[in-house]
Amino acid sequence: MTNELLKIENLKTYFDTWAGVVKAVDGVSLNVKQGETLGLVGESGSGKSVTALSILRIVPRPGKIVDGRILYKGESLLEKKENEMQKIRGKEIAYIFQDPATSLNPVFSIADQLVEIIRHHQNLSKQEALERAIDLFKLVEIPDPEVKIWNYPHQLSGGMKQRIAVARALSCQPSLLLADEPTTNLDVTIQAQILELMKNLKKKLGMSMILITHDMGVVAGVADRISVLYAGRVCESASARTIFYNPKHPYTVALLTAVPNLAIKREKLKVIPGTIPNLIEPPSGCRFHPRCEYAQPACSQEVPPLVEIEPEHYVACLRAKEIDVKSPLRAE
Amino acid sequence: MKIRKSKKNVPVRQAETKQKKGVSQWSIAWRRFKKNKAALAGLVIIGAIVFMAIFSPLIARYPLNYLASLKEEGKIRMPPSARYIFGTDYVGRDVFSQIVYGAGNVLYVGFGAAAIAMSLAIVIGLISGYIGGIVDNLLMRITEIFLVIPFLLILLVFLKVATTLAPSGVGGLSTVTLMIGLFSWAANARIIRGEVLRVKQNEYIEASMSLGASKWRIMFRHVLPNVLHVVIVLTTLQIATAILVEAAVSFLGFGDPNSITWGQQLQGASEAVKEAWWEGVFPGLFITLLVLGFSLLGNGLRDALDPRLRE
Repeated sequence: MTNELLKIENLKTYFDTWAGVVKAVDGVSLNVKQGETLGLVGESGSGKSVTALSILRIVPRPGKIVDGRILYKGESLLEKKENEMQKIRGKEIAYIFQDPATSLNPVFSIADQLVEIIRHHQNLSKQEALERAIDLFKLVEIPDPEVKIWNYPHQLSGGMKQRIAVARALSCQPSLLLADEPTTNLDVTIQAQILELMKNLKKKLGMSMILITHDMGVVAGVADRISVLYAGRVCESASARTIFYNPKHPYTVALLTAVPNLAIKREKLKVIPGTIPNLIEPPSGCRFHPRCEYAQPACSQEVPPLVEIEPEHYVACLRAKEIDVKSPLRAE
Repeated sequence: MKIRKSKKNVPVRQAETKQKKGVSQWSIAWRRFKKNKAALAGLVIIGAIVFMAIFSPLIARYPLNYLASLKEEGKIRMPPSARYIFGTDYVGRDVFSQIVYGAGNVLYVGFGAAAIAMSLAIVIGLISGYIGGIVDNLLMRITEIFLVIPFLLILLVFLKVATTLAPSGVGGLSTVTLMIGLFSWAANARIIRGEVLRVKQNEYIEASMSLGASKWRIMFRHVLPNVLHVVIVLTTLQIATAILVEAAVSFLGFGDPNSITWGQQLQGASEAVKEAWWEGVFPGLFITLLVLGFSLLGNGLRDALDPRLRE
């Protein structure tokens, strides 16, 4: 238990809107070990991003963390003062955003932006900070760092900008990196490059990472463990191998089935029937029951707890032990 | 030969490494601004009047407030001639010289009032737009109060009160400037707030939050530079407005009688518009010219700085 870097217990983040309270994250529990990559997977609106934003306590208005505990290196982040959090953000825990096109400030050169962050968290002179920024450029494999660093965001390509966003996140050597769909807005070849880069850097710098994505293909190559989120709750959490080859939750299976796979011949791509539920009035009991083919009356009554059905394999399904679900990847 | 070649290569390489600065949005805007003839004309007009203000003792033909035609010829309100190119006024001062001396005061009011109004507008617009919630609500209601009150009327009342309560000095040009500034921030604050709301949505604001920047740092280091293009345009237009308002106030007799401004000259001319047209037409022309200059500049800057108009 000592190597646990981040532990989230029963996190609840609600958005108080005029239409009602949106329960974006409703009792999520996660943990990330030192040096590990956790894949956070789910459909859009399942609460992945809000969970990550909650860790840094930068949930946009009107979002509010209403309950739960977030322990980072054994300290409770929710009890920290705002100025203490500012020292953690960027220095201890860094965030990589989805859209590289807008995550850099257009009016400053890259050098200005990186130097600002480095000097904000570390006591360095401008020249030292600039050297450090150039080193970071080398780290994320940008050619011609001494020249490119003086460029403005509009002069750079999307892939380049995302590399810079990675460099910016790494600028103060954080222990934990939150990558929120870092490759979604990039084309496929660049996606692979960025993922490879992040994987290597993670190893090199020995940090932990939470990789948020809706793309099962992306987590497959990078994550050690995966937590599957559905409608603001964790439904399954296990090692990447287990999730892919021996999933127990019907939703995980449905998600895997929906992924196009060249190895499996199918006429049409399978989809999960229905849409993600309304988070203002979510379904009672198990939130997946209206879309679940194994649902029974009990599923709409009782909230399934997250149980460890085998070592390190947690499932939140009442029928996890009775039903026999099969991963589509084990179709042989 | 070989040595020569290698020598030649050295400066080339140095040149390559020296041009490392990227192309900022400002340099792009300047490139576009330079192509705009009307805007450059505006800049030239403003430049000429600023020059006039700085070197007024050298340009003016007579000393400040010197009763030229009265003392030298015993006459007032002399028509334009070689001696008095814009004629003389109701006490015999050379209209042209007085215009030259007035330029500095006119610009002082314009820049001063705009500086006060824009500082208020920036702070209120930034806080209101960025913090949002109750703060925004409160600040915007106050702004609306300032928008609905009849601006010129209130201004006149305040100036009258200021001059009667403390007749010595307080009713000076600085009071006029301050008053104009304090009453003209509201519309600008609203526009800046709207711009802030737009900029706030960008991911780089969330990104700087995630990197540990404080509220104030984000507001002034990241949001402000991104709304600066709007601020610049509004400032030029605000300067023009302030100059016009000062002229109006002075014309109505509420200005500072001890400082010569073009509006003051207009007031002196108002008694004898028919007999001595030159007394009012020339100061009026200069007011128009300067305001036109700032308007042209403002329009040019708006076109140059607006990212949507990028070709």
